[in-house]
Amino acid sequence: MAAVQHASRRKWGLDTPYAFLLPAILIFGAFAVYPILRSLYLSFFSYEFLHPEQMHWVGVANYREIAGDQRVTAWPGIVLPKGSLSVWQIPFYPLVVAWLTINAPGGAFWNSIRFTAMYVPATIVLPLFLAILIERAGRLSAFFRTMNFIPVVVSVAVVSIIWMWIYHPEYGVANTLIRMVPGMGDGFTWLSDPKLAMPAIAAMCVWHGLGFNMLLYLVGLQRIPTELVEAATVDGATGWQAFRRITFPLLKPTMFLVGLLAMIGALKVFGQMLIMTNGGPGDSTLSMVLYLYNIAFRYGKFRFGYASALAWALAVFIFFVSLIAFRLSKERE
Amino acid sequence: MALSADRAKRQANTGLLYLVLFIISALSVLPFLWVVLSSLKPYSELYSKHLAFWPHHWTLDNYTKMLEKMVGFGYYYRNSVLVSLGTVVLTLFAGSLAAYALARFRFRGSQAILLIFLATMMVPGEVGLIGQYELLSAYRLLNTLTGLTLTYTAFNLALTIFIMRSVFIAVPQEMLDAARVDGCSWWETFWQIMVPMGASGLAAAGTLVFLSSWNEFIFALTMNNWSDEARTLPVGIQLLQGQWQHWDYGVLFASVMLSFLPVIILFLFLQKTFMRGLTVGAVKG
Repeated sequence: MAAVQHASRRKWGLDTPYAFLLPAILIFGAFAVYPILRSLYLSFFSYEFLHPEQMHWVGVANYREIAGDQRVTAWPGIVLPKGSLSVWQIPFYPLVVAWLTINAPGGAFWNSIRFTAMYVPATIVLPLFLAILIERAGRLSAFFRTMNFIPVVVSVAVVSIIWMWIYHPEYGVANTLIRMVPGMGDGFTWLSDPKLAMPAIAAMCVWHGLGFNMLLYLVGLQRIPTELVEAATVDGATGWQAFRRITFPLLKPTMFLVGLLAMIGALKVFGQMLIMTNGGPGDSTLSMVLYLYNIAFRYGKFRFGYASALAWALAVFIFFVSLIAFRLSKERE
Repeated sequence: MALSADRAKRQANTGLLYLVLFIISALSVLPFLWVVLSSLKPYSELYSKHLAFWPHHWTLDNYTKMLEKMVGFGYYYRNSVLVSLGTVVLTLFAGSLAAYALARFRFRGSQAILLIFLATMMVPGEVGLIGQYELLSAYRLLNTLTGLTLTYTAFNLALTIFIMRSVFIAVPQEMLDAARVDGCSWWETFWQIMVPMGASGLAAAGTLVFLSSWNEFIFALTMNNWSDEARTLPVGIQLLQGQWQHWDYGVLFASVMLSFLPVIILFLFLQKTFMRGLTVGAVKG
């Protein structure tokens, strides 16, 4: 451990730690801490930006309004298939229900949840698969790693625009490929179908984040001593057994990190929806952040008080979900 | 015999592994390659129901049309470069100086300051969106590059401080002592010892900060969306998309291509630094 200097006797001068901290504290205090606290303060007011003179304290009324706001908390309109089940359908029924649930548009809160439910599992599994393959690729692994990392450095705006063309109903690659399969007809109207729009956006996001999460897994895999796996192989374990008994348990912290980051990011999703669907069709892709952005800046009334309450409600929700995730991961160990 | 059969099986496995990896990598890269190629296609080939990867007729029409019609594009580019570079310089300066203070000095309040940085890092940035808008509006910083640069700097400071603090803690004490004996002030010690010793950490943090400000969307959209003179690339591109998507995607692709190409090229040259910056950022954040 490095020794630490004690601040010199002359406490306030240019050559002291206080002076070194000053620029960071000024910028951070003014442009990061203050806005966050100001938002919290505003969330207890009825406040329209264009009418600051009418600003007045309303207590938790904004938060109460969220609970009753149909565009936020409306329950998903799940329509279960009618009629009796035949025997072979029964094992698939839970899957069918899960699929219908995840695809049922509801309020913005529900939409953010179902986006998370689509995005997070795929983001935990697929990059892990890719990372394991890349680890085995020997001399070419650096090349494959680089190729798969390229989308990560490109902005959400650019990626969204490219994928809008991919999903173009007439000229997009997705439908062109589907039309090549006999019996598939003209393909789908991806982004203008209330049931398909959200999965389509989620698929794009999984693709966009693939390289980044692959990298996290590669770092995690490198931390596992190769001797352990080698020893198991010498003892006669197959590749799968070695993976399941050694690699997988040691990789759990990485999986937790990937999952947690994915979840926090997914609950804050915004740009993809704004660019690709603008929350539509209907409200089927309206996410929490997009809704609060609309409330604050787009619906004309600049309701900063209510939008702040929405932002803080989301932040508190994210905090508690992360906390629960932490608890669960600790308990299991 | 058995040995060679085993070897053949292993070779087949390796072949399959490469094939799968090649297909996945192609899925990652092809969309971008395909945007580049599509921007070189004439209108009639782009709007065709037949899948064609290579342009049949190569043309630069989309680029000339873009330069003619998308007058704002030059501004977006300039703004993105200025804001991103400004953010990197300001963040690295203020951040590493603060990290130096927090890593090598013990003084009253140092733990509290560290804790405040850590706690704020946990709060999603979007929460401050409204407060930020009000603040920038009050000081007439909306739609200015200064306002956006300060905003991005504030967002990236905490992470930079954490990265640089862990780098600075590892610098051997003897080097500092030697510099002090030579009569250096703490300020000079910072520039002569800490900055050179932390160069690779600074580079990693710098690329991380650059990438996040080059690609940032929601704050740029909220704060700098009044005129072309203030928009950055993601916001400008989004606007162009709204205007051109029903008109001509080829021209749009030309602008999209120009906006992602520099970052991808930069990444290909600085891969190691990029990847280190991003993983360190993720693990700390």
